[in-house]
Amino acid sequence: MSTGFQRTRTGRTVLRVDAMEKTVLASLAEQMIAFVAPTQAAASGDPLAAIVGIDEVAETPTDPALARMFPAAYRDDDEAAGDFRRFTERDLRAHKIANASKVAGCLERHGEKLVLTADEALCWLGFLNDTRIAIGTRLEITEANHDELAELPAEDPRAGLFDVYDWLTFLQDSLVQLELDAD
Amino acid sequence: MSVAPAEALRPLLEEELDRPWITIVWNDPINLMSYVTYVFMAYFKYDRAKAELLMMDVHERGKAVVSTGTREEMERDVTAMHSYGLWATLQKDD
Repeated sequence: MSTGFQRTRTGRTVLRVDAMEKTVLASLAEQMIAFVAPTQAAASGDPLAAIVGIDEVAETPTDPALARMFPAAYRDDDEAAGDFRRFTERDLRAHKIANASKVAGCLERHGEKLVLTADEALCWLGFLNDTRIAIGTRLEITEANHDELAELPAEDPRAGLFDVYDWLTFLQDSLVQLELDAD
Repeated sequence: MSVAPAEALRPLLEEELDRPWITIVWNDPINLMSYVTYVFMAYFKYDRAKAELLMMDVHERGKAVVSTGTREEMERDVTAMHSYGLWATLQKDD
């Protein structure tokens, strides 16, 4: 297991990962790009509106992980929530795709030692958070069942996914600590 | 008898009437406490003590009001929170 993110004296962010870990991260980046890509229903419609980033269709995603990543901005006002979504969700999806693409690019460009610029590190931070939200929602993680999931027998289909989640948590926290210490 | 403030009778400006909107961040089991603190510092420019206090409110009380302002400002803040992956909503302050 890698040591997490570290910072050099010159301010670069470094992550050392082995070939297997790189494969996992690259696969997650690819999956994230496909996962948050705008839906067909939202993409079709008024081409002019699409150019300026406004969607005609704006419904809360039915997939729980997507619903968590693109939450309603108004709790008690569906109309305002729909308007907000029409004007913001496309950009938000593009932002998440850009982060994942940047991560994929870093993985391709570097070997087992990734040296990241400050901007790239922030893309990684966003990507790691998005990925944990997607996987954590799939695992139906709560504050109460974390230990239970950690004890799953290896044959449980969720066990492998939880291991990945736990590793991403470790990676993200190591990067957050660097960003907190930088302030 | 005190003299009324000179501005007491002027009509309120649009943005003053608009003012009491709030951004609320809700607790969720996935976002790291350290990350939530980081987001409050990075986006709102709160110092670490204030960011940690708000984070603990989110964690222990289930939610915290993280900013106050016009509806437009709160929509901007909620958009930013969503882009960081935090679960945020806006509403009129009651």
